[in-house]
Amino acid sequence: MKAVFAIVLSVFCTLSWAEEQAGAIFKQWAPSLYQIRLIDNVSGEKSSIGSGFQITADGLIATNYHVISGFAQAPQKYKIQYLDHQGNKGELSLESVDVINDLALVKRSIDSEMSFFTIADDAPIKGEELFSLGNPHDLGMIVVPGTYNGLKKETFNDKIHFTGSVNSGMSGGPVVNKAAQVVGINVATSGNQIGFLVPHDKLAKLFAKYKKAKPESIEAQMAEQLMANQEKLIGTLLKSEWQAKELGPAIIPTVDVPFIRCWGDSNADKPEALIFTAMATCSLDEDTFIDNQFFTGMIEMQFQYMETEKVSDLKFYHLYQRQISHASAGNKVSKEDVTEFKCHHDIVAPSSQGINNKSILCTRNYKKFPELYDVLYLGLSVDKDTQSLISHFTIAGVSKPMALAFTEQFMESVSWN
Amino acid sequence: MELIIEEISKGDKLLSRQKYHGHSLSIGRAYTNDVIVTDPHVCPEHLALRYDGNNWIASDCGSLNGSFLGNGKEEVNEHVVQSGDVITIGNSTLRIVFPDHPVAPSVPFSAFETLINLARNPLVIGLAICLFALASAWLAYLDKGKEVNFTLILIPAIGMTLMFSVWPALVALVSHLTKNDARVMHQIGICFVFYLLLLGTDAIQALTLFNSSSNWPVKWIIGVLPVGIAFCLFWLNCYIGFHMTDKRRAITAACITALFFGGTALMQISKQPDFNPRPQYNATILPPSYLIASSNDVEGFIDDASKLFDKTREMSKKEQEKSEH
Repeated sequence: MKAVFAIVLSVFCTLSWAEEQAGAIFKQWAPSLYQIRLIDNVSGEKSSIGSGFQITADGLIATNYHVISGFAQAPQKYKIQYLDHQGNKGELSLESVDVINDLALVKRSIDSEMSFFTIADDAPIKGEELFSLGNPHDLGMIVVPGTYNGLKKETFNDKIHFTGSVNSGMSGGPVVNKAAQVVGINVATSGNQIGFLVPHDKLAKLFAKYKKAKPESIEAQMAEQLMANQEKLIGTLLKSEWQAKELGPAIIPTVDVPFIRCWGDSNADKPEALIFTAMATCSLDEDTFIDNQFFTGMIEMQFQYMETEKVSDLKFYHLYQRQISHASAGNKVSKEDVTEFKCHHDIVAPSSQGINNKSILCTRNYKKFPELYDVLYLGLSVDKDTQSLISHFTIAGVSKPMALAFTEQFMESVSWN
Repeated sequence: MELIIEEISKGDKLLSRQKYHGHSLSIGRAYTNDVIVTDPHVCPEHLALRYDGNNWIASDCGSLNGSFLGNGKEEVNEHVVQSGDVITIGNSTLRIVFPDHPVAPSVPFSAFETLINLARNPLVIGLAICLFALASAWLAYLDKGKEVNFTLILIPAIGMTLMFSVWPALVALVSHLTKNDARVMHQIGICFVFYLLLLGTDAIQALTLFNSSSNWPVKWIIGVLPVGIAFCLFWLNCYIGFHMTDKRRAITAACITALFFGGTALMQISKQPDFNPRPQYNATILPPSYLIASSNDVEGFIDDASKLFDKTREMSKKEQEKSEH
């Protein structure tokens, strides 16, 4: 009984110690924490809120890109405003963004030097206790303690795995270690799961670049970042080993990189089905947020093998055609962001002559980033009477040469065994 | 002397025709007349005709509403009748014709007429309807993704056949109502033969779309095919069901075709969203035995496809310019 009492007491003590520590950090750094709000010029009301924190004595504030994305896309429609711990408001100017890592730098004008958060030099160690600061649900600043769990493995752009309940309004708030150094930034867009942070080195890099030169135009900066990211991503995919994998009697490629994850399914458990189907889907689990209506940066590859002994070839092809008539790209877009798709189709055999496909390639151009395109490919085997293979991929936000190189490699890697 | 009296409608259609002998003729609503007209605006004794040895003379018998030459205002009083004269009494119109009045030359039976008559052959009609029902059943069968039983495809087949019988029945009804020969069997036969032809164009379309690459502009050409066949069907509907000039028949058929295809196209356009985030591509595929086209290689495909990128970029530029204005 005594032992149990001791354990309960010690747990209670640790909890209250953590609370005390959190309270101290909050009190000390509250003046450098802000609520960042986007104000609609016409209605005068806020259209989105998030958090931000000061990183220089002269008023430079770091936040999430998605918090101020409305302003970045339509500067005439909004203004960015801060609300400090005492309830003072003021306007902010947008200085620089990192659209890939969801970071932005905004600036307030100040009269005298202020305290600010320093960015940590090193990453935390696994299990280290961290404090996430922010402003969830417009309720005022809060502190959430949590634990550092290393970098998330399956991402192309690093994310910190943080166990602690980061809420949507805490976006853009800092995550600090016990020494109150910033080791990460809360991020909770719809594309990213709660509990992931942008690592501090991304912010350090953006800040260092900004110190050298302020970007001339945010749009050009975004275009450059999107271009560089797709170049790096598709380049990595093309350079990696493409392993041949069997799907029924077909050979399909899988790219051996950790950030592309594959899933499979089949209807083998349904013997009454007219057509036996096996499917493999490989995709990148992250995307790039541009605004609420516009996402990019995702990749998906999908393979589907079908066969039947129950129906005639004409019926099989009829059902097969119905299956593939409504393919669409996975990213959300609006009319202002992209053109409509244009498509090309032909009967194509790879150099191995291992398959004969009806191949369809569709593409649409990004209006604000004219070097980038969304691409959708469909390969439909048409050389076996009652067996078929659908090979399909979509890439969002890719340059023409990269898209064509990827398409070529993809088409050459699919065949019958 | 002999005299022929024709009662004609306002639209110049013949309603009745009668030949009379003698030297006088009375026209009116009373039963004592030679020509009895039921029109209530006609008097019991309305118009009298007499032969004076050389001519027929027409005179109004003091009727309430009068008798007039043609559709004009000239009253009939001691009028010397010419063959083909038209006299209006009350709401009715009569044409007076002499036995020596010239008639139009005979129309020979054309090969075309024989062909059309073939369409009313019960064997042809039966065969066409059976084939159409079979094709509908087969299409219904192709469309079912699960195991099917006989009734499951029989119902849509019968339904389709009945639905498609409505059109020839409607045309026959209209031609009957407009005092033309209905010729129902002709209409049904012709319609089902053409429905089969339209199904044939579907097959040709599928075959062409499957075998052609988007480098060939075949889409428009094969799109015109069903329009042409539908025009022929409507033209024949008019030919069989109605007496009309060639020009009028062509215009009528063109109008129905335009209404039909234009209406469908308009409906599709109105349904189309302002911006379509889905790609529109040709996904027609058929079993390998229907593949005639030779395969392109990947390099050739990539070459062709690379032009797409420039095209969408052009589109994007144009749309940007438009929105800036």
